[in-house]
Amino acid sequence: MSVLQQLITPLSSAEAPPPRNKVTVVGVGQVGMACAVSILLRDLCDELALVDVMEDRLKGEMMDLQHGSLFLKTSKIVADKDYVVTANSRLVVVTAGVRQQEGESRLNLVQRNVNVFKSIIPQIIKYSPECTMIVVSNPVDVLTYVTWKLSGLPKHRIIGSGTNLDSARFRQMMAERLGIHSSSFNGWVLGEHGDTSVPVWSGANVAGVNLQKLNPDIGSDGDKEQWKATHKAVVDSAYEVIKLKGYTNWAIGLSVADLTESIVKNMNRVHPVSTMVKDMYGIGEEVFLSLPCVLNGGGVSSVINMTLTDGEVSQLKKSADTLWGIQKDLKDL
Amino acid sequence: MFMIIIITTFCHFVPQMSTKEKLISHVMKEEPIGCTNKVTVVGVGMVGMASAISILLKDLCDELAMVDVMEDKLKGEVMDLQHGALFLKTHKIVGDKDYSVTANSKVVVVTAGARQQEGESRLNLVQRNVNIFKFIIPNIVKYSPNCILMVVSNPVDILTYVAWKLSGFPRHRVIGSGTNLDSARFRHIMGEKLHLHPSSCHGWIVGEHGDSSVPVWSGVNVAGVCLQTLNPQMGAEGDSENWKEVHKLVVDGAYEVIKLKGYTSWAIGMSVADLVESIMKNLHKVHPVSTLVQGMHGVKDEVFLSVPCVLGNSGMTDVIHMTLKAEEEKQLVKSAETLWGVQKELVL
Repeated sequence: MSVLQQLITPLSSAEAPPPRNKVTVVGVGQVGMACAVSILLRDLCDELALVDVMEDRLKGEMMDLQHGSLFLKTSKIVADKDYVVTANSRLVVVTAGVRQQEGESRLNLVQRNVNVFKSIIPQIIKYSPECTMIVVSNPVDVLTYVTWKLSGLPKHRIIGSGTNLDSARFRQMMAERLGIHSSSFNGWVLGEHGDTSVPVWSGANVAGVNLQKLNPDIGSDGDKEQWKATHKAVVDSAYEVIKLKGYTNWAIGLSVADLTESIVKNMNRVHPVSTMVKDMYGIGEEVFLSLPCVLNGGGVSSVINMTLTDGEVSQLKKSADTLWGIQKDLKDL
Repeated sequence: MFMIIIITTFCHFVPQMSTKEKLISHVMKEEPIGCTNKVTVVGVGMVGMASAISILLKDLCDELAMVDVMEDKLKGEVMDLQHGALFLKTHKIVGDKDYSVTANSKVVVVTAGARQQEGESRLNLVQRNVNIFKFIIPNIVKYSPNCILMVVSNPVDILTYVAWKLSGFPRHRVIGSGTNLDSARFRHIMGEKLHLHPSSCHGWIVGEHGDSSVPVWSGVNVAGVCLQTLNPQMGAEGDSENWKEVHKLVVDGAYEVIKLKGYTSWAIGMSVADLVESIMKNLHKVHPVSTLVQGMHGVKDEVFLSVPCVLGNSGMTDVIHMTLKAEEEKQLVKSAETLWGVQKELVL
């Protein structure tokens, strides 16, 4: 008798049950691995699957995570270039694609990434037709639209990581100026995840105290305290980190784990994520932009109706127009 | 009209309160206490950053400092972590090439130095890393004279000895990450073989963190059931179940991951966070880490090897005395001799 047979008496011959909270991460680049590690260290899934086309790198990353399994509460970590390993995923995080080079805007990456997505999205749906998807690859708003088109999933099950990260950066930078923790500063950045994101100054508050009431010029060019510079720093921050270390990964990984938690734990928390905004705020086209969305196990269950100023609404519409300008030229969707 | 002009002019001289002043009243007269549970990570390569993110995600410190010589990369990494502050419970994350940012650390994790290339053994890295340590260790000591030094850079057993010599610290405050990772890999593979979670599979790998590590087969157990009692051949050449292969996979594991992805990071990062947790939370947990083993198990020289140690907030306070077979002790002594052979040639 083997050691296993001598040691253990099985009580049930039933097959191991399927995973209930399986997460798949597509793409094992720096962003994909930061998402994977953040999700693992937050104990959010009972199975993690990794997919990529670079087979050696994929296997190496999988082994490196498995070697840490003693320190984790995710008992099954698998990886393959064949999407069959992703079957029955509750959530699929898509980080695959090419990333911004130094100085390159997110919108430049678009057609290159559409082509990558055409090989990825149908495979995901084939093996996990009930999943919710979080799209992270840039330009995220356009690629969330592309994913929606290619997957055929209902729009509430496709989320773009959107301005969840921009809002986190905004809250961190504003909170630092005030000497408090970011979670105590409430501020929302909506719209495009990128150069034309919209900071909703009218909602910025600490302990319910509205900052715009204390400083009516806040966010405008005439503001003596130049709070607008903080939002600019948010927009520039990704470019700055890329210039310094070549890419960004930790903050976006933590941001994705935050969204994953709301979905997997069915929390009904509000996050600024990219969702289909046609017919809201006078937007006539099928574009995805970030608005405050209630996330739970089913995906986006509802959208919070932000009270925006006319200026903020027109910025959103301008973003929508820019994005539609790109989307309408995309081929083979 | 004249009165109005005077009043308007007077109003422009009243100082305007800033938004912050209108929002917040500072009421504490004393100096703020500042951070009391600070961790520093030296080196922002893949291992340093994996250690940092694991430590942050486990909420182990109220301040994290990062140091490196590559200024742009350091700044970028610190910014990237700071941007995740909303999702973390570590209020202060700083980085600088100047070691003054590391002042008053409770634990300093040293990951700096050259890493193994594909196929290269850890011992090959030694002199290069000794030279780097001659700059790093005195700087750490200067700003955190009471810290616990945790060495991760390879070859870890030799570099822990080097750090101990260069720092002048008592031996209980200089720990090498040692075979904490090898044992984790062993328990993972054992778990796969037995279809159990690694935390339920107990097995200790001691000695050198490297090619000559020693699996203590007699201690391998599940729920106290000694597996070698069930299979007396366990670990030997004639074993039909080939358990010896489990240890071989552990030794080869790092080389294989390096061949596939260029380096290892996640497992060692989590292993470091596991050790830092025991120290920061004063857990008195037993871990296989690299410590001075002179006088134990027949080792005569001043070498550092991994044995089961009790870790708490004072550092490495006690060593568990293992009952090893004669063959296992011989392997430890042989490791010690190999390491001493390298150490005595070092210029410190």
